[in-house]
Amino acid sequence: MGKDVKQMTSGTKERPAIIKFFTDFFDAIVKGDLAVKLSLVFMGAGYFARKQIIKGIIMMITEVVFILTCIVFAAPNLAKFGTLGTVQYEQIFDPLTMQTTVDDYDNSFMILLYSVIAIFFIFVFVLLYIHNMKEVYRLQLLSEQGKHVNTFREDIKDMFGKKFHITLLTLPTLGVVLMNILPIMVLVFVAFTNYDQNHMPPNALFTWVGLKNFKSLFSNSMTSTFSYSFGKVLGWTIIWAVFATFTTFIGGILLAMLINNKTTKWPKMWRTLFIIAIAVPQFVTLLLVRNFFADSGIVNTICSNIGLTGFLKNIGLVSGEYIPFLTSPGWAKVMIIIINIWVGVPYQMLIATGVLMNIPTDQIESARIDGANKFQIFGHITMPYILFIQGPALITDFVKNINNFNVIYLLTQDMYFTNDQLLANSHAKEVDLLVTWLFRLTNEYYNYKMASVIGIIVFIICAAFTIISFSKLIKGDREEAYQ
Amino acid sequence: MKKKLLSVLLCGAMVAGCLTGCGSKSEANTEAPAADEAAEEAADTTDDAAADTEEEAPAADTASAVDNLIANTSGTVTLRVWAGEEDQEVTQTLIDGFKEKYPEVTFDITVGVESESTAKDTILTDVEAAADVFTIADDQVNDLVNAGALQEVSATYTFDVKSENSEGSIAAASIGDKLYAYPMTADNGYFMFYDASVFSEEDVASLDTMIEKAKAANKKIGFQAPSGWYLESFFGAAGCTCVLNQETGVNECDWNSANGVAAAQALSDYFATGVFVNMQDAEMATGITDGSVCAAVNGVWNAQTAADAWGENYRAAKLPTVKIGGEDKQLRSVIGCKLIGVNPHSQFVGWAMLLAEHLTNIESQVYRFEQRGYGPSNIAAASTDEVLANPAVAALAAQSQFGNLQRVGANFWSPTETLGSVLAESPSADEIQGILDTAVEGITAPVEESAE
Amino acid sequence: MKNAKVVIKHLFLLFLAAIWLVPILWLVVTAFSAYKGINISHFFPEEWSLDNFRQVLVEPDSVVQFGVWFKNTLIIAIFTCIISTLFVVMVSYAMSCMRFKGRKQIMNFAVILNMFPGPLLMIAIYFVMKSIGLTNSHIGMIIVYSAGSGLGYLIVKGFMDTMPVSLREAAKLEGASEAKIFVSVIIPLCKPIIVYQIISSFLVPWGDFVFAKLMLNSGNAKDWTVAIGLYNMLNKTLINRYFAVFCAGGLLVSIPIAILFVIMQKYYVAGITGGSVKG
Repeated sequence: MGKDVKQMTSGTKERPAIIKFFTDFFDAIVKGDLAVKLSLVFMGAGYFARKQIIKGIIMMITEVVFILTCIVFAAPNLAKFGTLGTVQYEQIFDPLTMQTTVDDYDNSFMILLYSVIAIFFIFVFVLLYIHNMKEVYRLQLLSEQGKHVNTFREDIKDMFGKKFHITLLTLPTLGVVLMNILPIMVLVFVAFTNYDQNHMPPNALFTWVGLKNFKSLFSNSMTSTFSYSFGKVLGWTIIWAVFATFTTFIGGILLAMLINNKTTKWPKMWRTLFIIAIAVPQFVTLLLVRNFFADSGIVNTICSNIGLTGFLKNIGLVSGEYIPFLTSPGWAKVMIIIINIWVGVPYQMLIATGVLMNIPTDQIESARIDGANKFQIFGHITMPYILFIQGPALITDFVKNINNFNVIYLLTQDMYFTNDQLLANSHAKEVDLLVTWLFRLTNEYYNYKMASVIGIIVFIICAAFTIISFSKLIKGDREEAYQ
Repeated sequence: MKKKLLSVLLCGAMVAGCLTGCGSKSEANTEAPAADEAAEEAADTTDDAAADTEEEAPAADTASAVDNLIANTSGTVTLRVWAGEEDQEVTQTLIDGFKEKYPEVTFDITVGVESESTAKDTILTDVEAAADVFTIADDQVNDLVNAGALQEVSATYTFDVKSENSEGSIAAASIGDKLYAYPMTADNGYFMFYDASVFSEEDVASLDTMIEKAKAANKKIGFQAPSGWYLESFFGAAGCTCVLNQETGVNECDWNSANGVAAAQALSDYFATGVFVNMQDAEMATGITDGSVCAAVNGVWNAQTAADAWGENYRAAKLPTVKIGGEDKQLRSVIGCKLIGVNPHSQFVGWAMLLAEHLTNIESQVYRFEQRGYGPSNIAAASTDEVLANPAVAALAAQSQFGNLQRVGANFWSPTETLGSVLAESPSADEIQGILDTAVEGITAPVEESAE
Repeated sequence: MKNAKVVIKHLFLLFLAAIWLVPILWLVVTAFSAYKGINISHFFPEEWSLDNFRQVLVEPDSVVQFGVWFKNTLIIAIFTCIISTLFVVMVSYAMSCMRFKGRKQIMNFAVILNMFPGPLLMIAIYFVMKSIGLTNSHIGMIIVYSAGSGLGYLIVKGFMDTMPVSLREAAKLEGASEAKIFVSVIIPLCKPIIVYQIISSFLVPWGDFVFAKLMLNSGNAKDWTVAIGLYNMLNKTLINRYFAVFCAGGLLVSIPIAILFVIMQKYYVAGITGGSVKG
């Protein structure tokens, strides 16, 4: 849609986009001619009137497909959406024929999933429908003014010209809808149901319970220690995210500076040595390291042979015969952060190497001439520059660390046992992040309802954090700064 | 449309089912279900069917049901079987035997890998996608039945499952008096193996004696504390119980009673000796191999490691007695069985059940023992000389009279895991009551908060 | 004085490198160990053997079918890498070089979408895939790994943002369409960042086992990827007999990836830097 056309169709220019979207639609209905009005019922009509036959046929087919889908797929599922199904699974085995008969049962999860797909589908169609009305009205105006109406061939050409973004974005968007939007919608809905171990489709139904799950997360009732665990786990998640992000970040910069220093010989070899450590897939190294540091693992054997265990025992850091690297809360938390440094620093080193190569050398030179020492240069020039460049990446890293599943899961699963009975009662551990906790809740305890609630809260925390820090960090639009 | 048709069928089947299936459930295991019309239809083929099956057919009617099934089966019967990683070849051989048994039918049976200990998690994620026939450990029966993932064994066809298998294994495969799975082995419990160069046969009767001897030899005794399954040994010995109430779905547990406190105290005191040590499976195995561990409470899965490491000094025995509150008590064990379950969502439930029967019949159990050393649950198979000569199986048999059935809901596991881990660090005596109270609170927490 | 400092610095680097390589060294020596379990008393194996590699490469049993897994993962990785890279580059071009209504909103929306915890989404994705019949299939795995990749466009877009507008303007004056500019002007200039993207998306299927285990749930070991297979070896009943084999397998997977990394180091650094300017 060109700008001039838009201004023609709506009288006032300064309306919010959403309102304008609808007013344009009504304008089109009111001011449109017969063919446009007919498009309300037959979506292709307006195109046929302007001799855009192929487009018209495509629209007609779309409409028919939509109506058929509604009847066959959307309506039956949406009808049950209010209750999420009422017919319980019943199965009867006939010992004589050795066959089973199953009733026409409802599967709550599938009803929910299909309803979400249907809602999404209808939503997209409504948008298309409104857009369609505006489009046929625009065509009407064009032909009234005697301007050129695109042929189908020209429309296609547009898709590789000024509308190329539509061509580019269609498939990736479809993928994101399939992999992100639909699943997120489903799970947001699950947070308002009682989908848990006692209500598992296909054999049992689950249904809506309103805000009950949110309440039980924030209230400490006698039987449920969720709110206690939530507080603990959230606290560690944030501590972890802060440490994991900054230790690897700073470690990476320092290492890169050390390697890229002019007096350092064979920088390439050093870099390669560190890269080898990350070339081994993360799950292999993490599973290896966890056996490396096991209570009766090789490190413990070495430590006790060289007397380190005895020393630590004397100063009161260790109570048993071994160092509980990954099995006592304090040690495990420190070890996890250290191991994460081990995993993360080489990556950050690579990135920092790149950043340091682009650092404006003239500034450093002039500072040196002015008599600044190494640390002053680092503090006043290098670091601010890196922070400026890397700031946004740091924020995304922080969010990634909040959701860093692999490191925690692989290091502690089946290794770490909590001694905090209250945590254990809600299946959490001191070293759990919110993600690993909700993974355990879904994977071992099928408590999908609580996992979804926690998921939504993680999501809110991350989103709030990102929005605040981005607006603080990025003043104005830097997008075109370098173009 | 398909569902419509199904519901019509169902109405018919309900009527028929109530007359035949439901009515005969209680007696189906010992007697053939009595159904007049089907019996008449099948009467003429009865004799052949009886001759076909190698087992003594429990009754003519069930045999004719099999015959019916064969007659009604057209096309390929596709079945998927899940068995543990180590049992793939054995299972494949047994399945080949099954195929030979029914030459009239074309089978497409594939064996997949799913360890008994984790089968539940995979099955419950998506019951419909799970295998038709799968191997499970008996502690999963509860959750699986709740989720409708186990086909009730309401009738048997080639042999009588209930009477041929040991009582304990049948109890382990049942909820209430309904049988939900086919017992395959009776060796999934725990017992003790020890190094005869450290202990004499008399020593291993009492844990106190064992600790003295082990201390003298500067070696350790391994016990896996962070596990409700192993903790049962002490709490069970003290007479405490923890059971799932099938009606409410909530665990009932008295581990925080005076007896429970005594048991916890005893356990904590043993750990305080520094000889009786909390260790995980893998650590135990490595400890046994490098000689630092001289006795361990564990199961058959690590017995081979011990046998290899200790050679002719390898012995297995029932668990020792312990001092709880000043009295000698025999440690209990959990009766552990590996079971074969049938998925109710299977396309070919009938064939799946026949396959499950075949995989658990006496020949198969004997074969499994010969190949893998698994202790049979079948009474006849378990009493052969070869089986009795196997130290691990003999120890399990000796322990079985001190075996408890552990039927608990999901909330049992995390709290007890922590409980064991806490007790392993020998807390002070006045803390124990509080620790147990919190643990029991977690164990008895309902899955769902009751409606306010 | 100066020389001593340099020597100390090199010694310090050597020390750091040693720390980083010790676990890798342990992986390597354990892979050559004759003892199959975890050796807890000695760092270096008492007896050396190539048996683990023989087991991994030539003698597949029911636990170790490394060849099949490697092939599966390679196929999945190649297609994932192609689709992901295409998607990311396409989205990046649209977001960086084109101006259209709703662009900013879409970008903000994409940032927010990325924040929903992944492990929770898996179960829903599983059922979405199941309803289109793509569980237990490698096509399904490719879709799972690559379909949502468009969201990870930020780094590539940042790189494209640094391209001078004049390049595109010039091409436009010569009458080139957007598609033409995309293919023949921008893509060649983005080589470093595309290489970066290719490497990172190629690595995804090698490292993921949670999702793969959920999606490939038939229990048929022939369908597995390397990650599931290796993880499975650390099962409590298997670890004492397969730990060394696990190490051998892990080592074999790492070799091609390490070579890839070392060769691509230059592009990786150049690409990631350009991209992270805008993050």
